[in-house]
Amino acid sequence: MFSFFGRRVNFEMSLCCFQRNFSAALPSLVPVSLPSKKETHLWYVLPDEVKSETLLNQYLEILSPYEKESIYRMHGHQLKKSALLARALVRTTIARYQTNCQINPRSLKFRKNIYGKPEVDWQNDDDWCPPPLHFNISHTSSLVACGVTVDVPIGIDVEEKQRRIKNNILAFAKRYFSHEELQLLASVADPEIQHQEFIKLWTLKVGQEAYVKALGRGFSAAPFKTFTIWTRVETTGDFQHFEALDSEASEIVVESSDDPENLTNNWKFALLDLAGSHYAAICVEKDNSIGGETNAPMSLAVWKTVPFVEDERVSGTGAVVAIGGSVKQF
Amino acid sequence: MAAFSATSVTFASSLKLSLKNNVITERTSNLKMVTVGWRKSSFPSLKTNRFRVSCAAKPETVQKVCDIVRKQLALPAETQLTSESKFVDLGADSLDTVEIVMTLEEEFEISVEEDSSQNITTVQEAADLIEKLVEKKAA
Repeated sequence: MFSFFGRRVNFEMSLCCFQRNFSAALPSLVPVSLPSKKETHLWYVLPDEVKSETLLNQYLEILSPYEKESIYRMHGHQLKKSALLARALVRTTIARYQTNCQINPRSLKFRKNIYGKPEVDWQNDDDWCPPPLHFNISHTSSLVACGVTVDVPIGIDVEEKQRRIKNNILAFAKRYFSHEELQLLASVADPEIQHQEFIKLWTLKVGQEAYVKALGRGFSAAPFKTFTIWTRVETTGDFQHFEALDSEASEIVVESSDDPENLTNNWKFALLDLAGSHYAAICVEKDNSIGGETNAPMSLAVWKTVPFVEDERVSGTGAVVAIGGSVKQF
Repeated sequence: MAAFSATSVTFASSLKLSLKNNVITERTSNLKMVTVGWRKSSFPSLKTNRFRVSCAAKPETVQKVCDIVRKQLALPAETQLTSESKFVDLGADSLDTVEIVMTLEEEFEISVEEDSSQNITTVQEAADLIEKLVEKKAA
């Protein structure tokens, strides 16, 4: 399949060749307007839908040498492919949000903040103001996703619904989740549902961690244990776990055990069933400067894409089902 | 510092190595001149090798870690696993790493601190940490 991944020499030779042939004719990307401050955009790629070697070469072409090295180090074609798609998705997605001029996805540079969160390192042009774009990527071997916001940090995580847990779920929860979450999981009788709830909780926590990293803050030593994720049903104000939820009018909140009286309300969460195969958690900051914002649902637009080939807006379709948090798809 | 305590025999062979790699023609150069001529990279590899030999985990521990990692990540038989293998390059995400740590804790009857578990990125690091904790427990 990927003959160029085999031998390093061939790899570098093909690279030079591509640079000569492709640099002038970069395939186009359908431009998209920046999300407004209240909106969140989510883009995803299904690796199984990307089969063309030519296309994969084009993706490789837009990466930096460092990114290519990282991909080269991965073991196995599947891993290399999803890693490649992750980088290609970030670059092409950010390049779509053009402001004054066309952004070549290959020209984008990235850096990490002190907590290891990747961010765009905009190259400063004197009269060009970089867009206040925030992004976060997450991927499994069967889905690659990129969330985008403006002005506010975003954290996302995607997990396969069917992902097997090798350890005993309750032992795991006892070790890594909060006491309340352990109780919650322990109260679920059906092992399949317990498994689902576990994955949902994990996805939310990892999504939140990604968000906190975006803020430039790290977690304390035992992050997961000090935060409990609850779903509060808006109408009654009662706390329930996900299974009991039968409407979208809910809010996911985080309770810190260090400060139990104060439910941390700075964040908005959404939990989605994505493409029928994955749970996706999105965590963004609430912009309290906008009036009436505090309890507004997360405005979310979702696209399924094969960069350079096709984009499909899938928000509001069966591909995106909100299963937690208050979400308004558009 | 370990590099400097090398015997003259070792030193001579390293000297030969540096001569091959660098453009030093004067074989009778004194120590100071040769030192300057040595490539930066030759120092760290010398030092690290010595360091590793004295502090590395037992091969059996490394092997056990490899087995656990292989199982957790469901690696195909042909995937080569060495002590230097990085978990991320093997496709491990945060849940995998946490699961691996849990399994290692059970297998070796140790308890890993949260801070330490975040620093485990390769098989070797996991094995080294395990041995350290096992030793501490025995003490």
